[in-house]
Amino acid sequence: MAFLDNSGDIILDAVLTDTGRMRLARGDGSFRIAKFAFGDDEINYESYNKNHASGSAYYDLTVLQTPILEAFTNNTSTMKSKLLTVARQDLLYLPVIRLNHDGNSFAGSTRNLSTRADADAGGSYIVTADESSRQNIGNGQIGVLHGDSTGVTDQNPLAFDQGLDTTAVSISTNNALSPGNPLRETQYIVEVDDRFLKVATPADGSIASVSFVDDDQIASYFFSEVADTAYVENITIGGNEGNRVNDNQSPLRGPAGSRLKIKLRATEAATNGTYLFTKFGNTGYQVIAGGDNYYYIDTTLRITGFTTGYRVDIPIRLVKKQ
Amino acid sequence: MATTFKTLLSSDIVNTRNFLHESVPLTGTIVSGTYNSTTDGAEYNIKNYAHGQFQSVYDYPYLSSSANHLFDVTVGYSPKEGSDAFGQADDPAPSTADSQYTKKTNMYSQMAQLLVGYDESGSIKPFRNPIRDVNMKQCVFLPFSRLLVKDEIKKGSFSLAMYVSGSDEEHGAGFGAISALGVDPVTFTDASGSDGYYTDSPAGEYGVLFHNDDSPEADDAGAASGLLYYQAGIAVLTASIFNDGFCGNQQHALLSGSNQGSAQMFMSGTIDNFADAIRHRIQNISFNNTTELNSTIYFCRANANEFNYSSNPTYLSESQIRVKTNASDQPISYLTTVGLYGADNELLAVAKLSEPLKKTNTNELTLRVRLDY
Repeated sequence: MAFLDNSGDIILDAVLTDTGRMRLARGDGSFRIAKFAFGDDEINYESYNKNHASGSAYYDLTVLQTPILEAFTNNTSTMKSKLLTVARQDLLYLPVIRLNHDGNSFAGSTRNLSTRADADAGGSYIVTADESSRQNIGNGQIGVLHGDSTGVTDQNPLAFDQGLDTTAVSISTNNALSPGNPLRETQYIVEVDDRFLKVATPADGSIASVSFVDDDQIASYFFSEVADTAYVENITIGGNEGNRVNDNQSPLRGPAGSRLKIKLRATEAATNGTYLFTKFGNTGYQVIAGGDNYYYIDTTLRITGFTTGYRVDIPIRLVKKQ
Repeated sequence: MATTFKTLLSSDIVNTRNFLHESVPLTGTIVSGTYNSTTDGAEYNIKNYAHGQFQSVYDYPYLSSSANHLFDVTVGYSPKEGSDAFGQADDPAPSTADSQYTKKTNMYSQMAQLLVGYDESGSIKPFRNPIRDVNMKQCVFLPFSRLLVKDEIKKGSFSLAMYVSGSDEEHGAGFGAISALGVDPVTFTDASGSDGYYTDSPAGEYGVLFHNDDSPEADDAGAASGLLYYQAGIAVLTASIFNDGFCGNQQHALLSGSNQGSAQMFMSGTIDNFADAIRHRIQNISFNNTTELNSTIYFCRANANEFNYSSNPTYLSESQIRVKTNASDQPISYLTTVGLYGADNELLAVAKLSEPLKKTNTNELTLRVRLDY
């Protein structure tokens, strides 16, 4: 897509997404626009300079000069970050969603795919597609999750913690993002490529109910704090008075809200065949340095807070022994 | 509670219908001449078919994927004996001696079936000139492509300028050759189409094409030369325009060696021969098309206290809002995109602003997103 002409009047370039066109073509009345949201995908707020020497009129000059691309028709390629309505206008901190790779009872560290070392940030998880691959890799490898139907049962779940990640706000019962707090996330959307992976329950690894699968085979799962207590839980405050922390498990440094827990399972097609790997993936990845070669597919797990709009993408590499 | 979506109320959604018109000019050089081979005279933008029932005109050599179909040319005559447009008996009568008798009569019948319909006995009605009140038994058909016509030809906007004089040899190199003869083209227009059209066609509305020649006067009954079906996008010209005396006192010979009335002309030659001869006489075609735009307008309103924060990862630094120093500072966000969602949160349409809009708690925005169908 090209940039929109920003030399004159402000124009609005509107298109139906591929999903919109698919629903329109279906002719069953499923194309009905019911709500809207505003996005700011192109904006880099780091270029907002509130220390500009020329004064406040220049703070957002760079932001306002950001060129905007024409609309993408792929529904998953746009509206990545949404504008947020909060009744209070005096907020200085907003919650985020963090992958919990520290907690003892969660999935653990991600790995740097090249060095196979623990990655504090920007790492990936490896998901085994079948039992043979899992057994071949064995236990103790960094960032490896069991994605086969047997191994998933004893696999710790992935956890995503929502709250303030700052030490500027102390953790206490008074300022926790407890139920009822407007900044608490109460619903999560989990998006994953339905051809490769399914979302499973954190308890027994059975496959969760998908909300819908779009035209690009991206499956969306909705989990709410009220209806899906197996997936969404409260992050409690632990520690002693005066030295409080979030349940000794959370990476969040400030007041915490809710936690989403899920497991990932490889699809039957990925477990039982190599077609997906040869079509969408590649060969020759060594999960263990100098070890066996594996087919692999790189994909993404996306977690979006429905209420707060915050979004986290986790790279996933699905592997199967060659 | 924080939220990223806002529900559209019924008062935020408005349905409208508009008509969009575009001017469509087709010069004679496109129709014949521009893409001719300099060696053998082959016309690369003209497609002839093995079935020989019609000829297609493209705006570019048709083997190129860039080529667009403009219109077709074909001819046909009624299989029934009877009077021609002048009320004279056919001479000769339709005969299977014509090598393309079946193709020409089938073409006429097909067009008549679609555009004129059937009588009470179920028989196909012939084309009838409502001004002259006579049947048009031999016709030239110009079906225009949907790319040009869109939903319909705008009434009163059609103009076809063509030479009805000169021999095929004189036209062989394209319409430019005839201009050397010093005769003027005849222009056929649906001059009264905007308020004088007819509605008794099964294919929609149609107007009468009048020629502008001095004798008879333009818009006289005698100048009625054909029909223009607006929604079907098909011009039907009577072959009588090539008859001596129809458009002034000009000499006519549509095909080589013939200088006869339309009936005789249409009994000889193939459809492709006629199509070539007609194309080479066309100087200019122009009309306005019409697109019916059914639009839904969504008014996306952001009140003063709405959409003032962002979930953009760069909006926060260690959870602190970058655009604020103190909690009492006004929240600021910049919007670039409007997403329209279904009830199940699927993104159905998206609109991009050409530049970011600043949103604070001191301003309100209403963005009007129009989706055309």
